[in-house]
Amino acid sequence: MRWVGPAALVVALLVPLAPAGGYQQYVVQVATFVLINAAVALAWDIQARTGQLSLASAAFFGLGAYAYTMAALRGVPLPVAFLLGPLVAGAVSLGLGVVTLRLQGLYFAIATLAFAEVVKVVFKELPLDLTGGAVGLTAPPLLGGHQTGLYYLGLGVLLLVVAASLAVRHTRLHYAFTAIRQGELTARVLGVRVVRTKLLAFVMSAALTGMVGAYATSRLFFVIPEDTFGIGLSVTALATAIFGGVYTTAGPVLGAIILRILEEGLRLVLREGYLAVYGVILMLVILYLPGGLVSLWNRRSRDAAGGG
Amino acid sequence: MDLFLQTLANALIQSGTYALASAGLALAVGVLHIVNFAHGEFLMVGAFVAYWLSVLAGIDPIVSLVPAGAVMFAAGGVIYQASIRRVLLAPELNALLLTFGIGITLQNLAVLAFGATPRVVHTAYQLTAVTLGPVSVGVAPLITLVVSVTLLAGMYAVLYRTGIGKSIRAVAQNRTGAHLVGLDVDRIYLITFGIASALAAIAGAMVLVRIGASPHMGFGFVLKAFAIIVMAGLGNLTGVLWASLVLATAEAFVRTYVPGGGGAAEAVFFLLIFFTLVWRSWRAA
Repeated sequence: MRWVGPAALVVALLVPLAPAGGYQQYVVQVATFVLINAAVALAWDIQARTGQLSLASAAFFGLGAYAYTMAALRGVPLPVAFLLGPLVAGAVSLGLGVVTLRLQGLYFAIATLAFAEVVKVVFKELPLDLTGGAVGLTAPPLLGGHQTGLYYLGLGVLLLVVAASLAVRHTRLHYAFTAIRQGELTARVLGVRVVRTKLLAFVMSAALTGMVGAYATSRLFFVIPEDTFGIGLSVTALATAIFGGVYTTAGPVLGAIILRILEEGLRLVLREGYLAVYGVILMLVILYLPGGLVSLWNRRSRDAAGGG
Repeated sequence: MDLFLQTLANALIQSGTYALASAGLALAVGVLHIVNFAHGEFLMVGAFVAYWLSVLAGIDPIVSLVPAGAVMFAAGGVIYQASIRRVLLAPELNALLLTFGIGITLQNLAVLAFGATPRVVHTAYQLTAVTLGPVSVGVAPLITLVVSVTLLAGMYAVLYRTGIGKSIRAVAQNRTGAHLVGLDVDRIYLITFGIASALAAIAGAMVLVRIGASPHMGFGFVLKAFAIIVMAGLGNLTGVLWASLVLATAEAFVRTYVPGGGGAAEAVFFLLIFFTLVWRSWRAA
């Protein structure tokens, strides 16, 4: 299956050149959102490999988005503002991780969810000239808003997340993450520095999510607390990862491609309530294909992901 | 002083809704160890059942508590049989996402069936209030509080005084042990999930009286309900009452006494939960 990754990359590179007639812009737009969804889902998956169920993706996405927008509006050069996204998200996640990573299971999930909700309200309530309050801010576009250019930048962002995922997968970190997920006590006995490793995964994931937030903002041209920090983003991230296949690199990416295209198609057919079909498909996958879609084409990889 | 008492009364009243919306979730988590993301949508279904009974048959939403609860008890049972029971032994994440899928489906089916516009009912007592000294309380919220306390007391009585209640507690404590002494674990799970679903629907009928019904009404409640059961300690029913009271009080006081506190009250709720959790984890370590 070694050809799948390179083949997918070639297809991704060719998307803006596809002969889509008058729909060219639309295709590139959908493809860009696929890249964003895939990057957020894969970043979520990286920290999920240590067994921590985080519901804070939206917080880090939003922090990255606001860091970029607020800096750019104050005249900071755009590339520097862009880098502030991952930096701010990473720094905040370090603080959050230190105080919450002792929590287990649902307790950790709710603590991260509560954090995200608080950050959302804080950004809504800060002085208007700072964050724009509930209305948000207009973000200066990167690359002059050039659609194809932004698509390739998005591809670059996703490739960075993929690189991080592969780096974890193919180093000793993979064993440390997996050991912690399967039992912290055993992992500690085996010599894994549990808290430090969990923190590493958490900060890495948050910084990557913040980077995606900064990128997405430069593509969407605005930030609004309700949307940018919305819990929906966190839930979509984990739904996408599980749909595609959790604890793998290909799974979240595949999940994002299929779910996003499905969503777009359904939206065209049913104008309202189209997400009902999405919900049913999600249920069917979990009931009949708990390893996610990747387990269809490679049963061995599913076993390796689920068991080892 | 009057403002202080009024704020306290508001807090007490609001805690009734919170406790009612969280009780079913606490039961499902405590017994089945299932985090039901669709709990808010069960609440929404209850609100719509009560709404349609009111519109089509002129039945008062308070009376509709019973049919709304019954409908969701049955629906919860069907959902349990068709899906939940198959993921009980799977990783936590799968169960969570399954119920999330159920929630999205119900929510969007409601959008398809009823449209996204909120619906409201009109009752005679909705705009009336009772006055006790310096404090004035709406009749509808007061009824919600009474229903909430009655149901929670009833649930407590069932769990501690009846045979089925003892079975439920046994299964919650030790599934294998309960199975070994001959309890039908699967049937008890079915009944428990049905009761939890019915409680959500009853909460929905009460929310209908106070606010109205809309397909998206559930999510806000389920977020808060999660927070409450976690603060209470998973599966702790008495704790749900206390956590609801503490959080509603914090919210009410911020709303009254902090200038422009309407928005900040939302954050206080989650801030309190966050610090409770963190404090608990550091004390335990």
